[in-house]
Amino acid sequence: MSAGPGALVGLVIVSHSRALARAAVALASEMLHDRPVRIAIAAGLDEVTLGTDAVRIKEAIEEVDGPEGVVVLMDLGSAVLSAELALDLLEDPEVRDRVILSAAPLVEGLVVAAVAAVGGAGRKEVAAEAHSALMGKAAHLNAPEVMSPPPRHADEQADVVAVFTVANRHGLHARPAARLVSEMRGLDAQVRLRNMTTGAGPVPAGSLSRVATLGALHGHQVQILASGRQAPEAVDHLLALAGRHFDEPREDAATPALLRQAGPLPASPGIGIGPVRMLTVAPPPAHLVAPESPAAEWRRVVEAIAEVRREIERLRAVAREVGPQEARIFDAHLMLLGDEEVLADVKARLNSGAGAVTAWMGALGVVEKQWSELPDPYLRARAEDVRAVGAQMVTALTGAAALTLTGPGILVAKELTPGQAAELDRDAVQGIVLAYGSPSSHAAILARSRGIPAVVAAGTGVLGFAEGTIIVIDGATGELVIDPPAATLTLFRERATQLAAQETRHRAAACEPACTADGTHVEVAANLGSPADARAAAANGADSAGLVRTEFLFLNRDQGPDPKEQVAEYLAIAEAMPGRRITLRTLDVGGDKPLPYLPMPVEVNPFLGHRGIRLSLERRDLLREQLAAICDVARQVPISVMFPMVSTVAEVRAARAVLEEAAGPAGLPDGLRVGMMVEVPAAALKIETFLPYLDFISIGTNDLTQYTLAAERGNAAVAALSDPLDPGVLSLIRHVCRAAAGRVPVAVCGEAAADEAAIPVLLGLGVRELSVSPHYVPSVKAWVRDLDVDRCATLAEVALGLDDAAAVRRLVASTLTGDDELSRHLGSAATA
Amino acid sequence: MDDMVSTAGLNQWIRAFAELVAENKDSLTDLDAAIGDGDHGANMHRGLQAAVAALDDTKPATASTLLNKVGMTVVSTVGGASGPLFGTMFLRMGAALGDTAEVSLTQLATALRAGLGGVVARGKAEPGDKTMYDALAPAVDALESAASTGVDKADALKLALAAAENGRDATTPMLARKGRASYLGERSVGHQDPGATTVALLMAAAIRAPL
Repeated sequence: MSAGPGALVGLVIVSHSRALARAAVALASEMLHDRPVRIAIAAGLDEVTLGTDAVRIKEAIEEVDGPEGVVVLMDLGSAVLSAELALDLLEDPEVRDRVILSAAPLVEGLVVAAVAAVGGAGRKEVAAEAHSALMGKAAHLNAPEVMSPPPRHADEQADVVAVFTVANRHGLHARPAARLVSEMRGLDAQVRLRNMTTGAGPVPAGSLSRVATLGALHGHQVQILASGRQAPEAVDHLLALAGRHFDEPREDAATPALLRQAGPLPASPGIGIGPVRMLTVAPPPAHLVAPESPAAEWRRVVEAIAEVRREIERLRAVAREVGPQEARIFDAHLMLLGDEEVLADVKARLNSGAGAVTAWMGALGVVEKQWSELPDPYLRARAEDVRAVGAQMVTALTGAAALTLTGPGILVAKELTPGQAAELDRDAVQGIVLAYGSPSSHAAILARSRGIPAVVAAGTGVLGFAEGTIIVIDGATGELVIDPPAATLTLFRERATQLAAQETRHRAAACEPACTADGTHVEVAANLGSPADARAAAANGADSAGLVRTEFLFLNRDQGPDPKEQVAEYLAIAEAMPGRRITLRTLDVGGDKPLPYLPMPVEVNPFLGHRGIRLSLERRDLLREQLAAICDVARQVPISVMFPMVSTVAEVRAARAVLEEAAGPAGLPDGLRVGMMVEVPAAALKIETFLPYLDFISIGTNDLTQYTLAAERGNAAVAALSDPLDPGVLSLIRHVCRAAAGRVPVAVCGEAAADEAAIPVLLGLGVRELSVSPHYVPSVKAWVRDLDVDRCATLAEVALGLDDAAAVRRLVASTLTGDDELSRHLGSAATA
Repeated sequence: MDDMVSTAGLNQWIRAFAELVAENKDSLTDLDAAIGDGDHGANMHRGLQAAVAALDDTKPATASTLLNKVGMTVVSTVGGASGPLFGTMFLRMGAALGDTAEVSLTQLATALRAGLGGVVARGKAEPGDKTMYDALAPAVDALESAASTGVDKADALKLALAAAENGRDATTPMLARKGRASYLGERSVGHQDPGATTVALLMAAAIRAPL
């Protein structure tokens, strides 16, 4: 009954080393006592070169294949990948189907497999025998965890036990906990922690979400229970780390500010009174509820984690420039994204049929709830960290803004992305308080354009305010009072009433032209981003549309608008403002807001990159199409067109050439005016060379300011620098106005145009058109009517000689309030 | 048409890739020494020299025979995990292209997408694992979107290279979760991934060739 070798299972040994494979076969042969087993070696690239070769593995399988099939044993790494590839390379699917790749350890597995094979076992039996090859050795060495992981929370099995006392003033909150968890990574040890003071735990030390639930406060004693090969090292590391206060600075470890704050800073005028409201993650939209397979949903989660991780790492790099403490909060966020407990929970939820968003929110909701129930208020506030990560993940998973308000009131948040700010419900949000941010950030600009009072850079303390507590803010002064006494509340209510009365007065005269006290006409136009804005502008009395951001037609879609759609949208704007001139700016995008149909390389610094007219001239097809649509509209209504981000005359000439082409044989429409935006300081300085090609100039003070002062407008750390009233910026504006005087009109369409302090200076420099958010038109007109152009010119001259924007603001404030600092300046200038 | 890639172009691509790997062999090995077993540069160099020699011998006439030849040679001669991974990539690319002497940019992007699928199937890498995937996936994305919007070949390849280089750079802060680097845990953070680096060289080779 002895079977020939052809009826036995064949074995293939895959190893990086030919010598190792041969020795392993020799070792196994000792057990076989010359009984025949077919064993083939696929090991090393040659006698001495370490490596594995999928083609050789395939050949080896074919050599020993027979009716009973083949079991393949491998060492590590590429051996496994090459063996899998070898299966793909097998031409005969029947051969492939009778090959088993075994996860057994190479030497032990081979010995056991050879014995089983020679005894006539089938391939599944041989593979199963090989798989349990470590059993004997493990039993001998009493290491049960090799066979099955030890129960995770059984504390009686600790090899090493130690205790430390929490010396951090605010206990083991997210950041020191993250430091602790990272210290445990990569160590071959199971470490659990128990709060001996409260009895909480034990919890796995490798899980940030669980460590935080220990509620370990200053002075609490925490027990370390470690087992496994590196248990002693793990305990040593932990004790040393605890001794170093988990690398937190000892002074005021409690309130590490993300960035140096100059605030609270006024960001959008108006009075807000209402209960504190935090942002929470919105439930997933109904259309996202139908999940795919758990594997597909898991892949979505993994991809979203990678995306959020990249974003957090970017923020962390920014924060690190301020200091390592500021970066640490992001370490906690990153740690949450990789938290094994959280991910295991997500996976379990996916397997029970939940979609990626639901599973993620459910898992994080558990953590947030645990944290928000902790007794210490500082630790409790760290639930904010969980919310932040949760919101980022949901945004990454759905591509939507994920935050909503729990009810009407004053929104208190760490920061708002422009997307979040844009989606806020004006009726629910009675005011905004941001811990970070700057008055020149996009979020603040959006708040102003929507008339929502806002105070920014208020510090992280505001995040600890209890939801529902009454808070009052004055967005014109930056004042903010939590839980105000009755007298304060009355004071703010009176201010609100006065402001409302003033607004009513302004609105009553909004449709009249704005002429200064000495009779100079100033055009007050509106900046628009949609036909709805155009209707608001008309209702607010705007004299024209000074800037239409045509991006609204191009963003958030998979394909650009066709010419017909463009014509229809531009006409809709013109029809909302009948008889008034509409200034359309050509597409202004760059690496910071890429379009799916307009691929652009990722740039390190998109604001200094390939954007505005630079990009348009590269994609002339798009530009030509847009200009053709504009020409079409200009034949029906009064239209101006302007080009953004111009640096050289060649760009204007090239853009005009495209415009001529786009206009076609009929030539440029009568009445079409062509202009450019001045945002690049070099363009302002060279403005004379541009004039022959222009009908008008519009100064974009937001970008001009950030480029002139080298201060990014969204960055709170440089918020005070990024002020258009800096005399350097004013000097550029004066240069443009002087060169253009008597030749082409100069408008300002940045934020400065709606800034009560900036308007007298701009008029003094020679600006005669202000283009502002529709909401501001009535106020700007009212302010203009109170001014005297000659006096403004004197004011501007003095301002140009001052040190910085703050000095200019003081000068303007004293002049407007009648405290005549201006006369004193003039006096000192006269005596000098 | 200019935007077509000939078999001769693909041949030049592989040769340029071999040259770039040869030039960067030591730095690749240094990268691998920091987080792996230090053989990546030498392994890839050996495999690609063998691939070039095989191309000299057989002079394949179609895209698929060329890429199959390269894939099989790489699989047999690299030795480390890069062998089955890059090998599978080339084999899948070859299978996707079929017997044609010229391929369009779109076909090339589709083939690279198939190659990426092979890498994922073989290595089970996920985004952010600090592997060649993290450079290859963005490069394929970039090439596909460039091809679909009619960007010309030279620019499309530049976009793919930029995406690969960004992806490569992004591996530095990542925690390795695959291969021997994963044994290092946190200590793998702060080192650029050698596989992702080689992918960037592959994209640079397409420009050097030129394709």
